Amino acid sequence: MSKGTSIDALTRIGQDIVESIMAGRFPVFDIPDRRTGNIIFDTDEQEYVIGPTSVRRDSSNIRHVKSFAQLVWVASFAKELLKNNRTSSLRDLYYSSEAFDIEFADQAESDRIVGDLECLTGLPREEFGIFPEERSSIFGRVTMQYTVKGYEGKTVDLTISPDGLPIGPALMTAEPLDCKAELILAVESGGMFSRLIETRAWERFNAVLVQLGGQPPRATRRLIRRLHKTLDLPVYIFTDGDPWGMHIARVIMSGSANSAHIRELTVPTAKWMGVTADDIVSYSLPSEPMTNADLKRLDELKNDVRYNSSEWLHHINAFKDIRMKAEQQAFSRYGIDYVVDTYLADKLP
Amino acid sequence: MTEASLVGTEFTSISVAEFFYRNRQMVGFGNPTQAVYSTIRELVENSLDACEDAKILPEINVIIRRESSDLLLIEVSDNGPGMPYQFVPEAFGKVLFGSKYGLRHKRGTFGLGVTMAVLYGQLTTNYPATIITKHGQGEANEFRLLVDIKNNTPIIEYSGPNSSHSIGTKVTLKIRGDLKRSKLRITEYLRLTSVSTPHAQITLLIDDNPPIQFGRYSKMIPTPPRISRPHPRSADIELLHHLISNNNSMTLKAFLVDTFQKCGTKTATRFLHFLSLNPNRTTESLTRDEIVRISNALRNYNGFDKPESQCLSPIGKDSLMEALNRLYPSASIKYEIRGPFEWNGHPTILEGAVVITDSTPAENPSLIRFANKVPLLYDASDDVLTLAMKRINWNRYGVDTNSQVLLFVNLCSTRIPYREAGKQSIAAIPAIQSEAELLFKTLGRAIKRESSSIRRSKRNARKMREFSKYFRLIARYGALLASVETTPDTSKLVESLFEVK
Ligand SMILES: Nc1ncnc2c1ncn2[C@@H]1O[C@H](COP(=O)(O)OP(=O)(O)OP(=O)(O)O)[C@@H](O)[C@H]1O
Ligand SMILES: [Mg+2]
Repeated sequence: MSKGTSIDALTRIGQDIVESIMAGRFPVFDIPDRRTGNIIFDTDEQEYVIGPTSVRRDSSNIRHVKSFAQLVWVASFAKELLKNNRTSSLRDLYYSSEAFDIEFADQAESDRIVGDLECLTGLPREEFGIFPEERSSIFGRVTMQYTVKGYEGKTVDLTISPDGLPIGPALMTAEPLDCKAELILAVESGGMFSRLIETRAWERFNAVLVQLGGQPPRATRRLIRRLHKTLDLPVYIFTDGDPWGMHIARVIMSGSANSAHIRELTVPTAKWMGVTADDIVSYSLPSEPMTNADLKRLDELKNDVRYNSSEWLHHINAFKDIRMKAEQQAFSRYGIDYVVDTYLADKLP
Repeated sequence: MTEASLVGTEFTSISVAEFFYRNRQMVGFGNPTQAVYSTIRELVENSLDACEDAKILPEINVIIRRESSDLLLIEVSDNGPGMPYQFVPEAFGKVLFGSKYGLRHKRGTFGLGVTMAVLYGQLTTNYPATIITKHGQGEANEFRLLVDIKNNTPIIEYSGPNSSHSIGTKVTLKIRGDLKRSKLRITEYLRLTSVSTPHAQITLLIDDNPPIQFGRYSKMIPTPPRISRPHPRSADIELLHHLISNNNSMTLKAFLVDTFQKCGTKTATRFLHFLSLNPNRTTESLTRDEIVRISNALRNYNGFDKPESQCLSPIGKDSLMEALNRLYPSASIKYEIRGPFEWNGHPTILEGAVVITDSTPAENPSLIRFANKVPLLYDASDDVLTLAMKRINWNRYGVDTNSQVLLFVNLCSTRIPYREAGKQSIAAIPAIQSEAELLFKTLGRAIKRESSSIRRSKRNARKMREFSKYFRLIARYGALLASVETTPDTSKLVESLFEVK
């Protein structure tokens, strides 16, 4: 999506409002409904999509007028970002609002309004230059070419820094030029990411390493998908061995209800390597008992459409049987290189 | 003026002047602070009474000048009809000489007020009182008077024409008093007087300060109340005696019919039959015991219609509301009236207004008392209106700490049962108290209705403010988004939504 179309979409919103007021009508927005009732799991695509219902936000309604104003302001904020080739974080946006007489109760509220703008325009907020604060990192033998203003045509080798490169707006919109890697290995923790860089595991497995840091930002998911699609790299996901880790993988594969209105985020063919319950048993990993929250989460996942397959149900049931969980770092019990030499070697092709 | 002699004569042999001076706290001259206030009050009330009788829009000037720390010159002048010159010395120099004993609603009652002020001034400063008054055609007259305390008679120091005085009456007194401590009371008294007498304009000038003006809030001159005959139920032994001995002897029946209201020949015949008294007996022949019997029967017989009330002159809804609206421009105000009812045969009306303001209440509700339009500023605690107010559960009517509730209540009656001659507090007569409670309850219901509608309109106003704030932002950022120069006007749309106008 080009910058021009994003600006046009925003301008159109403003024109509708101005025309409507001048004609003596209260402006309204029809926004695709993001409430659970209208979020559907598309079994063919194996991902969440938004249903056909939309909600009307009516500026004449006393209960809507505030969020209506917030939405218009977010749109104008986004337009200013685009016009000036700037980016901003969700947190920045939240704090900026005050200077414009717009009030948000908390950042959760402003994040929600940004979500409304995405739904209204059908464009992800990244298109408008709005990113979350937290950044994932990437490392591997891929050369990217920037498209952001001031860096057009410049390239970057993703092995340039031994700490990995943060995935920000510039990298997200960069085009892959050249690739020596054969797969993408996304890992949950920063510790494991550093370990794999230091031990040159990327070389050994020909992998592009991505550090997720818990549930990854959408920019990261989008980049993983882009590399997967354009370079045809298979995606492997390595997380902690618990329901939360499992779900990180599942969201990369099928998306989440929260971003059901955003396309091009998912990699349905990605593979969750583990740590599985079976791994905990077969590698005799140091583990700890699951808490009530963990067990409850397992039950929730069991009822989640995304887990409605024999493979996933097997993983869930195996955890329920052993009632134990293990972190990625648990492999260190067998020495610092064990995870690379043994575990990854077993699991990766 | 004919009634004046009626009561006056009975006291001539007693040194009433001395009696009242000794008991001056009874009549409001107990200390140097109260004395200043009472002096002004007596003078202003006399001026108002005089103007009211003559249907004149009162213009009253009050001047207070401090000649030394506690020596004050007080001068009150009015645009009233003045007074017949031959009455001036007695009216100002003789205690219990007054023209207002007639049975109608008046501020002055006792024929005491102004002479007390004269007396107090004389005893504290040794100066005579100066009265300049213009009555009818011809030149005004000036008097300088002192009171012969032992004999309760005026001493005329000077009397003669005054050609420079063109209208009304001007009274000048010197008294020793505490101006600093009475100043607030005086301004409060004048402020409240302008509420109960909205057609009066009163100007207060203290030393070289800029003048303070109270009123006028209305140009409506109230119709002067009619003088009425007493109602039979008000005939206590004293009054009956008085009425009998001051009339020529006549038949009992003729006496009743002539003297009392609501007592025609039929009623009189029936009443005397009930008492088994011969209607043709002469009043002369009645024994003391019979007079007592008749008085008791008159007061208890229930065959008399209720007393006339044309002799009453309440402030009235329009005038009171107008004054209060001017004094409390953003308050909501409701008026209620009760009566006429009677207490011991005296026709009585209670009127009240409730004023709800935004200020933070000190005391809620707070009561402002009037008797026959005279503000009562002292001795509130035992007053019948205070007692009645305290019996009301104001919380029930939504009186809380959010807004100040002021209750203005005026008791109008041909007889105000003051607790003392200082005329500051009304006695707890059960009939008055229960009517006052009923008045407060109606006012309470009005408060409840008002405060919920105030709350509603406040809420609406707040909603509209909020709404238009957000809607303006929508227009502003909408215009910014559309890259148009001018933000479209939102006021019409917002007003249409809230149906303003
Ligand atoms: N400014 C005035 N204009 C005309 N007449 C006046 C004026 N001041 C006093 N008088 C006359 O003097 C009389 C005596 O006044 P005074 O104040 O002593 O008695 P009062 O007003 O009748 O009763 P009270 O004792 O209740 O004041 C009045 O009744 C009135 O006739
Ligand atoms: Mg008087």
